[in-house]
Amino acid sequence: MAESYEREVGKKIENGEGTPEKIKYSILKYFWDSNPLIRSQGDTIPKFLRSVDVLTNFTDLELRTLSKYLNERKFSDREIIFKQNDYGMGLYFIFRGHVDLYVNKNDEETTLIEKESISHLLTLGANDYFGELSLLQENSIRNASAVARDGCVLLGIFKPDLEEMINLYPVVAAKLLQAISVIIASRFFSLSKETKELKVKLAALEKEAR
Amino acid sequence: MSTNLTLKKRSPREFGRYIFFSFALIFILLFAFKIPRVSIPLIVSYAVVLILNPIWPFLYKLKISRPTGSLAIIIGLFFFIISPIIKFAPVITEESRNLQYYIPKVEAYAKKKYSQLANQTYEKTGYRLDPSYLDQGIEIGKRSLGKFLLGLPKFLASTLEWIFLVPLFVFFLLRDNKAIESNLLKICPNSIFERYYSLTHQFGKQLGGYIFAKFVEAAIVGTIITAGLLILGVRFSVILGFIAGVTNIIPYMGPIIGFIPAVVVGLIEYQGTSTFWAIITLYMVANAIDIGIVFPILVSRMVNLHPVVVVISVILGSQYFGIIGMVISIPAAAVVKLVIHEVYNEIYGNRAA
Repeated sequence: MAESYEREVGKKIENGEGTPEKIKYSILKYFWDSNPLIRSQGDTIPKFLRSVDVLTNFTDLELRTLSKYLNERKFSDREIIFKQNDYGMGLYFIFRGHVDLYVNKNDEETTLIEKESISHLLTLGANDYFGELSLLQENSIRNASAVARDGCVLLGIFKPDLEEMINLYPVVAAKLLQAISVIIASRFFSLSKETKELKVKLAALEKEAR
Repeated sequence: MSTNLTLKKRSPREFGRYIFFSFALIFILLFAFKIPRVSIPLIVSYAVVLILNPIWPFLYKLKISRPTGSLAIIIGLFFFIISPIIKFAPVITEESRNLQYYIPKVEAYAKKKYSQLANQTYEKTGYRLDPSYLDQGIEIGKRSLGKFLLGLPKFLASTLEWIFLVPLFVFFLLRDNKAIESNLLKICPNSIFERYYSLTHQFGKQLGGYIFAKFVEAAIVGTIITAGLLILGVRFSVILGFIAGVTNIIPYMGPIIGFIPAVVVGLIEYQGTSTFWAIITLYMVANAIDIGIVFPILVSRMVNLHPVVVVISVILGSQYFGIIGMVISIPAAAVVKLVIHEVYNEIYGNRAA
């Protein structure tokens, strides 16, 4: 946690920077947050999940239940989260930090060392998620490599968690599966759209060639 | 687009995690092997917790929280265990008291049979069997019985310890096993996390299923035999049924071990009568139901092991850890198989496609 507000302001005064013109905190919230018995409510996992866009149809209680099944994993900078063709069994939400996704064009054994064939796919930031196919597929293999950037914290949910949730909290599990279905459906939609466009282009090219 | 990719192959933190995690695993294994006085009740409690696992969805449906549910289960267990004990304790005490007077009867019967056998062999081969063989045999039997009786107080003391320890462990395992599991997962190194999680999950599922199935199987066999013997009016029916149920937990050899006392009782009490053959048939039928119906439906689906592997692992288990070794040999073999399978897939890359 950051230093206390008093100390922060005190330092600023010492350094001659002057106090901020307006205190942003309301006085009540200030005392509430400085209560040592209450943990900082700012970045708890349920609050974080509230900000993930696919989980909008969860109630607060359901998010709290879901958060019990999330596994917090910390990765240091440039640490491999998983490699292409690795066995995967879960979905990760990015709680803090960034994740780079790489694809190896030679779809063989990936070592991530041979730099030529590897291309950077995209960078994901906080509130993003990746690996959702692995949660559903039997014997799923990762189709990209994920590398952590600047010390990221991930919240993973895996097949065993999902199985237990289906048994114990069917409603939460159903909502999670619905959320994942939404992700996959929209991805499928964009893919089929892309295929359609490509087919049209291909047909045009074939026409040209004739 | 090619990128400049510099990766930390293994950060010092990750290395530290590896060391810490392996120390934790080694510590747990050492604890299990070196302090059996605590670890065996703990393992038994874990088995009980696994047997009780299917109850949880119902409790959650009734909106019962984990601590309350654990308490309710413990109270329920007490009720379910104590009431049959109170009911059957007088029967079992009486039967075991009768057993005390029964042993000389067994001795006399053995002597009679032996002299018959000796006469027969003398008539046929002209070779006289030395009666000291029998005396030696009886002596060995008596000595081992004495040893067993001398060991009984110690056994009872440890049972008394168990009566306190097991419910306590069961309660806390029921309440906290999720937390224990997640703490072990937390210290697992990142690079093996998913594999470790998948492996432990598969193992837990198999073990839980196996123990549950075995428990049901033993209960079914025990009930059939007790009921059958009661109907036939055989002496020691409750003890014999109980023995048959408990020994049924031991794979392959168990039913035979459970059969021996019944054969002894049958030979002495009911030799030549129809009751004797009825007892034999009863055991055969019970084991046929077990092998033909209960085992294929319940147990074999749980652990997919080759019969030869099962026999070898049971023998190895009995050699190193006695009866407990025989009981835990199959789950242990299942773990080894899982690990080998995982390593095989890792090395030979069977996973792709």
